[in-house]
Order: sequence, then C-alpha cells, then structure tokens
Amino acid sequence: MGWRVAIDPAPKRSVVEVYPKSRRKTNQLLIMASRVSLKTKGKGGKGSKGSDEKSAAQCLKEWSTWAMKKAKVVTHYGFIPLVIIIGMNSEPKPQLYQLLSPV
Amino acid sequence: MAGLVPPGATAVPADVSHTAHTKHDEKTDYMNLPCPIPYEELHREALMSLKPETFEGLRFDFTKGLNQKFSLSHSVSMGPTEIPSQSAETIKIPTANYEFGANFIDPNLMLIGRVLTDGRLNARVKWDLTDNLTVKANAQLTNEPHMSHGMFNFDYKGKDFRSQFQMGNGALFGASYIQSVTPHLSLGGEVFWAGQHRKSGIGYAARYETDKMVGTGQVANTGIVALSYVQKVSDKVSLASDFMYNYLSRDATASVGYDYILRQCRLRGKIDSNGCTTSYLEERLNMGLNFILSAEIDHMKKDYKFGFGLTVG
Repeated sequence: MGWRVAIDPAPKRSVVEVYPKSRRKTNQLLIMASRVSLKTKGKGGKGSKGSDEKSAAQCLKEWSTWAMKKAKVVTHYGFIPLVIIIGMNSEPKPQLYQLLSPV
Repeated sequence: MAGLVPPGATAVPADVSHTAHTKHDEKTDYMNLPCPIPYEELHREALMSLKPETFEGLRFDFTKGLNQKFSLSHSVSMGPTEIPSQSAETIKIPTANYEFGANFIDPNLMLIGRVLTDGRLNARVKWDLTDNLTVKANAQLTNEPHMSHGMFNFDYKGKDFRSQFQMGNGALFGASYIQSVTPHLSLGGEVFWAGQHRKSGIGYAARYETDKMVGTGQVANTGIVALSYVQKVSDKVSLASDFMYNYLSRDATASVGYDYILRQCRLRGKIDSNGCTTSYLEERLNMGLNFILSAEIDHMKKDYKFGFGLTVG
C-alpha cells in the first residue's frame, strides 16, 4: 500500500507514525490528522472537566449497575427455587416425594 | 313487581313502569360504563384466532399438579429451529430441548418460571397489591451477557379506565391508557421511549365490541396501522380478519382465518397475503390428554413446517 509504520515506545501515549511514500497520500494523511486532532481536543476538554467532579450521579449510576447485575444473577438462580418453596408451603401442603415422582 | 300490583286495579301504571324500564335499558348510563380490557390485549380475539403457536417437530408437555395452586411442568421439544441468516434462505438447525417449569397460581399472586437446558430462564410474576393496583414483571435471562431482558408493569384499574406504566431494561419506558367511552366503544393511547435506541413513539387505539363482533384499530407513529375484525358467527365458529400496514416502509399484510371450537377439538386456520397458510388442531383424546397438530406452509419462501405433539395435564 506504500505506508511505513513506526510505533513510539513511550509509555504514556501510543502514537502510530506513518510515513507515506507519495504526496497524495501525505495530503490525505494531513487531512485525517487534522480531523482526529480536532476530535481529541474536544474530548480532552470534556474529559478533564468530568474527571474533576466524580459526581453523585456517576456514583449512583455505578451502584445501580452493580445492583442490577447482582439482582440478575440472584433472579437467574433463585426464581425457580423460590416458586417451588412458595408452592410447597401453600395449603394443602404437598409431600416432598410428589415433587420428583411422575405420577 | 307485577305481583304487588293487584290485577285490574290500575292497568295504566303497570304499562308506564314497563315502558320506563325499557327506556332505561336503551338509554346508556355514562356513569356506569364497563371496565375496558387491558391495552395490550386489544387485539386478543384476533390474535387467538389468527396466530396460534405453531411449532415444528415434536412437542411433549406434561403438567403435574401438586395442589390447587402449585404445579410443575416438563416439556420436551425436538425439531429444526430457525436461525437468523443474512441470505434469503432460511437456515434450520435440529435442536432438542428440555424445559422445566414451576407455576404458582393464587388469586393475588401468580409466579411462572421456565428454565431450559441451556440455562435460559423465562420468569413471569403478577402480583395484585390491591383490588385496583397490579404489579407485573417479565424477564428472559440468559447466561450470555447483554442478552437478558426484563420489564416491570404497574397497572391501575379504575371504574371505567385502565392505565399502565412500564419500565424495561435498556432505559425503556412506556405508559398506556384506555377508557370506555360508550358501553361498546373504548379508546386508548400509549407512549413509549427507548433510551438505548433513542426512539420514542406514540400510538392510539380503538376497540368496538358487541356480543357478535369485535373490531379494533391501532395506529402508531412508528408507521404501523393495524386493523382487525372478528365475527362470532355462532357458539362454535368465529371468523377473523386482520390487516397490518406500515406506512413508512409501505408494507401491507392481510390475513383471514377461522376458529372452530367444537366439543372434542379446536381447529384454527388462516391464510395470509404473503402466501402463508397455517393450521392448528388441538384434539382432546381423553380427560387431560390433548393431541396437537400444527402446519405452516409458506409458499413464497418455500418453507414447510409440520409439527405434532401431545399435552398431558
């Protein structure tokens, strides 16, 4: 394709440097880079503001996601046993062997 | 009342009271309208007749009741299952499933749970908190991440209206309201908002029913127009027809079907404008033993599905 790629080994940020062999490809690369830098500038600006205030809303969202995950696991494993326990304790009480026998 | 009035004493008052009574029958009392059916069951009669649960392959259901309220169900099904494919051909893979279910049905509380061999759980809960307020929950849980769904409904039933609020996973919110306007006509509407797909919608519905027929119509801003008409020809026979039109994608489907409820069997059949005919027979062989035959023939896609099964209990 005509590109040479070098990866900067610096730990903080990983930069992919591309050396195009033709002028047209250089122009394309510059246009893409300007677009990407504008996008990252915007995101960087927002990110720095958000990380300062880890707000109550974010905490609440994390907790509610954790709670929903736990609730899903509990429901998945516990719903059928719950129905069986409620059923075995309803009047008239059925016997335990009736749970397993096919009659 | 005629016995209280001595015969021949005054014939005129008896006549007047009789005509006043019939006049009262004809004049509708708008303060005493019947409660309408729930919004999601608007097309109930048409769905029952036109969309039976057809299946392909073998199906065996065994329901064992342990007492009046509690029962366990075992269900085996073997047959080709369709998997969604990108091409026009339908791809079917033979699968065999065993499903265990537990049901607890009380006047106030209903719990139904079904679990398959691959770990999928299907749970339904309906809890009547008071005479008018009901909480319903519905969940399909799987072991795969992000494939589980859950929905909570809160229903309030008034004297001649019903309202419902729904919350589901993926930030799905919905509300619906249906009101009886005359003894035969009820009108309703619904709104929903799906956060995950950033979609919202609003819809309106109307239902007109008498002893002999039910006509319903539903319009939504997602482009769906659904009309249905069911005529109860006699105790045993009812005929239904259905028309679904999507005005955004210009897609229309019409179907016509019949429903025969006879002493020993129930036969339902329909034919579609997509070239699909369906038939579903439930035959009662003995008390608690039902034999089921299902057929769905799609002439356009050349997809033929035949199934047979037995239901015990």
